[in-house]
Formats: sequence, structure tokens, C-alpha cells
Amino acid sequence: MSRKTGRRLFWAACLVLCLAGFLVSLLVGPVRTTPGDLLRFIQSPDRVQSAIFIDLRLSRAVLAFLVGAALALSGAILQGYFRNPMADPFVVGVSSGASLGAVVAASLGFEAAVFGFSGPGLLAFLSGLAIVSLVYALSLRRGGFKVETILLTGIAAGALASALTSFFLFMRSDSYDQAVFWLLGSFQLAEWGQVATIAPWVVLCLLASAWLARDMDLLALGDETAQALGCPVRRVRKVFLAMSALLAALAVAVSGIIGFVGLVVPHWVRILIGPGHRALFVSSALAGGTFLLYCDLLARNLLAAELPIGVITAAVGAPFFLYLLHKKR
Amino acid sequence: MAIIETRELSAGYDDGYVIHDVSLAVGPGEFVAVLGRNGSGKSTLIKAVQNLLGNVRGAVLCGGEDVFRMSPRRVASMIAYVPQLAEPVFEYAVEEVVLMGRFARQGRFEKASAEDDAAVAEAMRLTEVGSLSGKRLSQLSGGERQRVFIARALAQDTLLLLLDEPSLHLDISYQAEVYGILKGLQKDKGKTVVAAEHNINLAAAYAERLVFLKDGIVAAEGTPEETVTAANIREIFGAEVDIRENARSGLPEISLVGRGAGQ
Repeated sequence: MSRKTGRRLFWAACLVLCLAGFLVSLLVGPVRTTPGDLLRFIQSPDRVQSAIFIDLRLSRAVLAFLVGAALALSGAILQGYFRNPMADPFVVGVSSGASLGAVVAASLGFEAAVFGFSGPGLLAFLSGLAIVSLVYALSLRRGGFKVETILLTGIAAGALASALTSFFLFMRSDSYDQAVFWLLGSFQLAEWGQVATIAPWVVLCLLASAWLARDMDLLALGDETAQALGCPVRRVRKVFLAMSALLAALAVAVSGIIGFVGLVVPHWVRILIGPGHRALFVSSALAGGTFLLYCDLLARNLLAAELPIGVITAAVGAPFFLYLLHKKR
Repeated sequence: MAIIETRELSAGYDDGYVIHDVSLAVGPGEFVAVLGRNGSGKSTLIKAVQNLLGNVRGAVLCGGEDVFRMSPRRVASMIAYVPQLAEPVFEYAVEEVVLMGRFARQGRFEKASAEDDAAVAEAMRLTEVGSLSGKRLSQLSGGERQRVFIARALAQDTLLLLLDEPSLHLDISYQAEVYGILKGLQKDKGKTVVAAEHNINLAAAYAERLVFLKDGIVAAEGTPEETVTAANIREIFGAEVDIRENARSGLPEISLVGRGAGQ
């Protein structure tokens, strides 16, 4: 099978799964609803059903899709950026930084909502971006920086932030329940305000990354080779790093830390459709969104109590990942 | 006029210059090899003249234009580069890699034009990689991969080709094959070729002019007959060699006089 046919099949499968996922998300929930109810609601909307279908279920499904798309795109960018299929949005410290911000806000009782973010969400967003900026600044050397330096600095900064997070959790153990939300991720608090806040940025980053995708193909061959072929390496690298950090920080700010999506989805997609970054970016976003949509369905329906979604992404993603890795050989 | 010219060029990395005050000119259609020990600055020179290094002093002119003031895109439209062979990280297919040579001539959202496709096909024909079509880089031998990278450089459609040790890590038959292709490009397509090379015999057999670097300074320069002498090799490489004429080409060749060898 050629890559082109494979790509078409992949997109068709993703679209079908995605639409099916949205439909199921609309129908399943604590209040029993049937497809008939949904049809009747579409023909003659009423308030109660609107609250269930549109404000509770659709907003949550859309948010899950957007966050999945953001995380997977961020991961796809960083794997190209570091020329390493093991990189993910969290290696540069975004997640640890963001969770530190959220836990600090939660333990200080900082609750005010701004721009569709909750208090901890806003602080998570800011501290996630702050730690990437710090990592970047620390990695700068005269005449440029080395990619490896950023990676190692990110790991060190992430470890430091994790230690501080644990410290705050230890000191304020009464904030533990809320901290679990941030550390393992959840869409329990989904609402349209959050969707409106992150959607424009996700779309913008997707367009920009598709625009610069060929530059990323060149970067994958090495910085000097890329520049010799005509890519303005330093500028392109800055834009990609900023986009990946922004996407990951936005995702964490609305839903806490959801691991595994950013690492595994771009990796799957690359195995299935090849390494060309334009198709990879768009497909990763689509596949990541779809994947998280289903994970959220499982998270809220598997047990009577809602599970943190981070548990599901890893439990479902890891075996599938192993399967693909071994099938490839 | 020289196609590329350095004027008192010093260049290096964060911790200082590796080459010092190098002034050289390469005319159109020449085949020049840059020789020297490891660390003598061969690769540094090849990179510096296409503005890939941050730490430079002096000037490089390409077609009379200052390379250090050009955008990467402009440089790529005048100079093509074949870097040292490296392991591929992602599994690009052969055509995808060759098409990357067209980057500087494409808009970012443009699809490959008929011209791009023609350039890719021609580059693959000249380097005889057509039969590798559809394969991934990781499935190729070192020699095949090197030919693909030369094809990518040809797809850039420039007059000047720079190569960084194209024979490195290759079996002896592939070394001759790669240099044979480069020689053909010079003779038939009028390309100017400048290659950093560590193998003196290989360079002397294919290049018309040799530049020897020692500690980042030009130590000798001229035709193989003028420069490949026992005295030069002792001075530049610190090696004792015998020089003889190649029985077929009449070009000078070195053979190592190892201590205790063959006695």
C-alpha cells in the first residue's frame, strides 16, 4: 500500500471515528437520553435538553477534542524539533511548570476566573509558559544554542518544579483532591468559555505549523543541512518552540495534565502515514482530538465515579503503542 | 570572475576560530579538493563559505555578492551542499529527500511544480538513484544514501556544489563511484565542485586543484603534481610517504612508509 492511499484511509477512518465519538458523547451521560431524544431536540429545541446536550455534553466533547488536538500537535512539533520520536510536550518542562502553578493556586485558594480560565488554570498557563521561557533563556549561548542543552535544561527544570509541587502538596494536604484534578487531568469543569478561549489558538497554531511544515522536514535532517537548503533555522525554531509551549500550557490550563497523548499520538501517526510534517501535523491534531474524545467517554462512564482522564490515556494508549511498535518490525 | 572567493576569512565556533585568514578563489567549472588532517579546518571552511557558522571574520563573495549578508534562501539558490553522512532519524522516502533540494525555490504552501518534478527526476537520473525510488533512507547502503544527498544538492539547481568528506564511511568501490559522479557533473554539466576530503589519492585522481590546510591556514595550493610531494606530506600530515606516478593516469600517488612495515 502506498503512503498516499494509506494517508487517505487514515483520514477517512479518523473522520468517521471522530463523528461517531461526538455522537456517542452527546447520547451518553448520567441523564438517560436516546437518539430519538436528540432528533426531537434538533427539530424543536427546549431549555432543559439544551442544557444537557449543548452546555454539558457538547461543550465537554468539543473541549476534549481541542485539548487532544493541542497536545498531539504540540508533541508532533517537539518530536520534530528535537529530532527525537520520544519527545513530548512535557520534556521542556511545560507540564511540571503548569502543575506547580495550579497546585500553588489551589493551595492558596486563588479561585477568581479570568478569560474563561479558573484561577489555578490561569496560574498553570502562566507558570507553564514561564518555565519554558526560563529553559530557553538558560540554554542560550553566544552564537545560538544546542538542542540537547534545551532538552537537558528542560528535564532539570521539570524535576525542580515537580519537587516544589510535591512540597506544596505535602504542606497543604487538604488541597489534595483538587490537586489530583490537575495532576491527572479531567474535563469535569468543561464549559463553552474554555472552548472559546483555547479554540482560536489551537486553530492558529495548526495553520502556522502547516505553513512551516516543510521547514520542519528540513530541520529533521540537522540544523546546518536545513539552513544550507534555505530554511531560516533560528527563526523557525523559535516559532515552533513557542507554539508547542503555548499549546501544551493551554491544554493544561483547562484540563490539568493529561499524559501520553502528546508522546504517543504523533508517534502512531508517523508509523501510519510517514514522517512528512504537513500531513503529520494535521493528522496528529485530528487523531489526538479523536483519541481524547474516546478517552473522556471512558473516563466518565467506565465506573460510577468519574476517573481522572490521565489514567485512561495511558491505560489505553500504552498497549496500542506497543502493538504498533512490534507490528512495524 | 571567481564563482566563490574568500578574503582573509577566519571562522569557527563559540570557542574561537578554526581557520585563519584564508584567501582563496575558485573559478567556474573547477574541481577543487580541500585536504588536511582531522581538525585542520576542512569542514569549517566548507561551512563558513555558505554562511552556516556564527563566528566569522573577513568576507566571502559568491558571484560578487557578500554571502554573509544573504538570507539562507538566497544562499541555497546559489550554493548546494552535501553534508557529512549522518544517520537519518525519520523515515523519509528517497524522492521526499531529493525534493527537499527544491525548498529554496518553492513558496511555503506551493505544491511541487512541473519544474520541481523535472529537476528532481533529472537529479535522480544523473546520480543513478532512480531504482531506489520509493525506498526509505534507512533501507539504503551508505553509498546509496550519499548519492541521494548528491541528488538533493543537484535538485537545488546551482552552479556550485560543496561537499564535506563525501567518501567518509564508504567502501572503496563507493568512494570511486561518488567521485566518478562528481567528475561527470563537472565535465558534462559545468558544475563547480569543492570537496573537503581526507583521502589524498582519491583527491589527486579527481580534482584539478588541491588546497592543503594545516591548523586552519593554507599550507599548500596547486595542481596534484605541484603539491603532492613527500616534503609537503611530511610537513602537513607528519607522515613519511613515497610518491610515485599512477600507472594509468600519470598522476602522483602516495604510499605510506610505515615504521617496520614490509621489512
